Amino acid sequence: MCKYTRRDFVVSSAATGLLLLQSQRLAAADPAPAGKPVNMTIARWKGAAQAAATNEGIAKVAGQLAKEAIGGLGGMKRFVKRGDVVWVKPNIGWDRKPEQAGNTNPEVVAAIVKMCFDAGAKTVKVGDNSVNPAVRTYAASGIAEAVKPLGAELVYLDKDRYKQVDIKGERVKLMLLYPDIIDCDLVINVPIVKHHVLSNATMAMKNYMGVMDNRAPFHQDFSACLTDLTRFMKPQLTVLDAVRVLTAHGPTGGRLEDVAVRGTVAAGVDIVALDALGLELLGNPPAATRKAAAILKYAEKAGLGKVDYHALAPKEISVA
Amino acid sequence: MSGVRRWLGGAGLRRIVQLAALGLFFGLMLATRRHGDAQPGLLLQFYFLTDPLLLALGWLSAHAVPAALCLSLGTLVVTMLLGRVFCGWFCPLGTLNALAGRFLSYCWPGPKRGDHWSPWQYAKYYLLAGVLLMAACGVHTGAIFDPLVLLYRSTATFLFPAAQWVVEEGTARAGAADWGRWLVREHLAETERQSFFGGSLIGLLFLAILLLNRYRHRFWCRYVCPLGALLGVFALRPFLQRRLDPATCNHCDLCGLKCHGAASAAAGESWKASECFGCLNCTSACRKESLRWTFAVPVLAGIPAKAGTTSVQAPSRSRRRFLRDASRVAGTLAGATAAMAIFRAAPQARGATGNQSLIRPPGALPERNFLARCTACGACMKICPTGCLQPAWDQAGLEGLWTPVVNPRLGRCEYDCTLCGHVCPTGAIARLTVEQKHATKIGIAMLDHSRCIPYAYGRDCGTCVEACPFPEKAIRMVDVEVQINDGKTQSSRWVSQPMVDPDRCTGCGGCVTVCIFRDEPAIHVVSANETRNEAAQPFLDFKQKPAKQDAPAGDAPAGGDPYGS
Repeated sequence: MCKYTRRDFVVSSAATGLLLLQSQRLAAADPAPAGKPVNMTIARWKGAAQAAATNEGIAKVAGQLAKEAIGGLGGMKRFVKRGDVVWVKPNIGWDRKPEQAGNTNPEVVAAIVKMCFDAGAKTVKVGDNSVNPAVRTYAASGIAEAVKPLGAELVYLDKDRYKQVDIKGERVKLMLLYPDIIDCDLVINVPIVKHHVLSNATMAMKNYMGVMDNRAPFHQDFSACLTDLTRFMKPQLTVLDAVRVLTAHGPTGGRLEDVAVRGTVAAGVDIVALDALGLELLGNPPAATRKAAAILKYAEKAGLGKVDYHALAPKEISVA
Repeated sequence: MSGVRRWLGGAGLRRIVQLAALGLFFGLMLATRRHGDAQPGLLLQFYFLTDPLLLALGWLSAHAVPAALCLSLGTLVVTMLLGRVFCGWFCPLGTLNALAGRFLSYCWPGPKRGDHWSPWQYAKYYLLAGVLLMAACGVHTGAIFDPLVLLYRSTATFLFPAAQWVVEEGTARAGAADWGRWLVREHLAETERQSFFGGSLIGLLFLAILLLNRYRHRFWCRYVCPLGALLGVFALRPFLQRRLDPATCNHCDLCGLKCHGAASAAAGESWKASECFGCLNCTSACRKESLRWTFAVPVLAGIPAKAGTTSVQAPSRSRRRFLRDASRVAGTLAGATAAMAIFRAAPQARGATGNQSLIRPPGALPERNFLARCTACGACMKICPTGCLQPAWDQAGLEGLWTPVVNPRLGRCEYDCTLCGHVCPTGAIARLTVEQKHATKIGIAMLDHSRCIPYAYGRDCGTCVEACPFPEKAIRMVDVEVQINDGKTQSSRWVSQPMVDPDRCTGCGGCVTVCIFRDEPAIHVVSANETRNEAAQPFLDFKQKPAKQDAPAGDAPAGGDPYGS
């Protein structure tokens, strides 16, 4: 009998990858020379692999991770001007609880909302085109409860209000977009890292599919459609939530066995680089992430960003 | 006695109670929606629990009723004491009929006349007898004409959706769309634009019932209402009785003009307790104080005398009367039997044919038992957060008219939602736990390969797989190499094609809701494989296989977390 199972192979290859990653991180010490702005930060929680990674422990640290990550970029003032209307766009797609990792972590969203207000934003709106009924989904995700006391406006997207917009894409021309989101001064993309049964992974670029309706045709050609949409959205700030990631049976999930705690929040201006990091954090073997990798490659070719995020010299932040 | 005190002590008090009861009815209906994870309480069914007709019909047809419904026996006790005060003071449909009659008398006045008792008021008793007879044979359809059920259904499927439309459109045109949306979508209704197939026809029937008040005040309550008839039987000799003082009565007939139930035969006549709603209009209207209410033990007080009518009946009249009554009873029997035959002599009712779109909500009892309990009140449709529960028209045959069916084109049956069973007043839909719900199949998804994009057009899609709410996915992708031809050359391409796992799919319809084809989806939910129908199980259960062979297919690693821990 062969004792070396698939699981063993996956674990050992990932461990090797981890080592390589660590060595790269050491090599990239002091990644931000003075004067040059930091364009990507990765805040990692030391307690992620420890017993502290209970639901309460994660809830406590998630907001801090987001704060540190955005702080590393130079703070929210770099993106938000006084009087701005900001749309925070988490993934609130599914009627799932935070520990099931179906939606963006509510504390991460709350921290971003708070930073926006502190930076002088006039209005902060939070909303997504949920697949399950919005009222239920916003409540189940914990995001409704987390952002309401901060004064953010929780927007339930209205099916009747999507407007046909010519985005002049390569594959997609007309698209039904939500006008309130398009008209905002700033859209902060706050995706969660999840496995996806069709595109292998869903992260920042795919999270933009929540600003539109009639999105099913995208499945025929994710690479071109997501590239078109991302180009139109002109990403400025992306905050990648990998506090918990859904490693299998995404994007809906539901089984706690499929959830892994990575304790990581990354922020940056290069959406492709953040997605590349997200794919790595998802931790699935390359054979099972081919489609997602292909989307990133396509987006890089279209000039949306860099797949090799190390080239951006991301600032590593360690949170206790 | 001052006017106000007199008013408050009589018809005025009754009006206040009526409006409060009507308001509570609509208020409880509005409250019939999701509140976090809490299951809806019994209070939401309060009005149904006061309805002894539902108790009688349910007991006759299904030989089983929820224990809470026995509370309606209290209504019978009250009726035996005070008469049909349920109809006059409490019944929300009665109140709406009274309001409609009053409104119509202003805007469309008819000839003023004292509305006196008419033999047509017996009609409702024959209807009741027919409905009870049918129920005893297991046909429960009469319950759709229970007044509380009728009002609930009309409100849920017509009045509320119409009101939602009016508020939203009205505020939008007035430039205050946000306000309307805030009020309706976030605080009153849970579903965007709740709407129902055939709601307009249900609404038209309801409006017709209201319009009939122009012809005779409280037409429905006097001539048709089966619940009123049931209460009328128990109100033949109530403890509370009206006494007329013949010495002071001047036969002005003010009491007759104001009477809601047409309970007296002619001006100054004594009164039929079974037709009286106890509305107190007569005593409030009487200028001579000739009328008063007293308590008396019915047996001791005897039958109220029929003042002024002929005392002796000729034998020939009595024979004619017997023939009349006997033929009416026979007609009732024949009518009920004919109705049952119409319902049951259909292929569907005999179980000879199924109907693929007869998809019942999760927890629904086996079809025959379900129909023996379901009143088609629409409480499940009101609370359904996606609007997928719709009134049936032909799916369940005539017998299942307006009973709930799932239409996944309008919305999925939510993965974690068990609300419909928890508001069902008669137990036609069982109260499931979330775990039970996950294990309850209401049908099965069936792909149409001639429409499905990966099968028919050789491109990737998979929207159905993405939306499948089961953690292990009940639809999975199979990579297939397909041949395509671009017009010049033939080549091959790898395409992921969805395939349904019959062991896991419960027929929730999430896949149907999101299918890219809006006109006619490429995936349907059909009623085959539903848990409640043991005779319709097309699949063997392959879940019993050893775990190793049951490893989920797909590109994701099954278990194992290579990155962390």
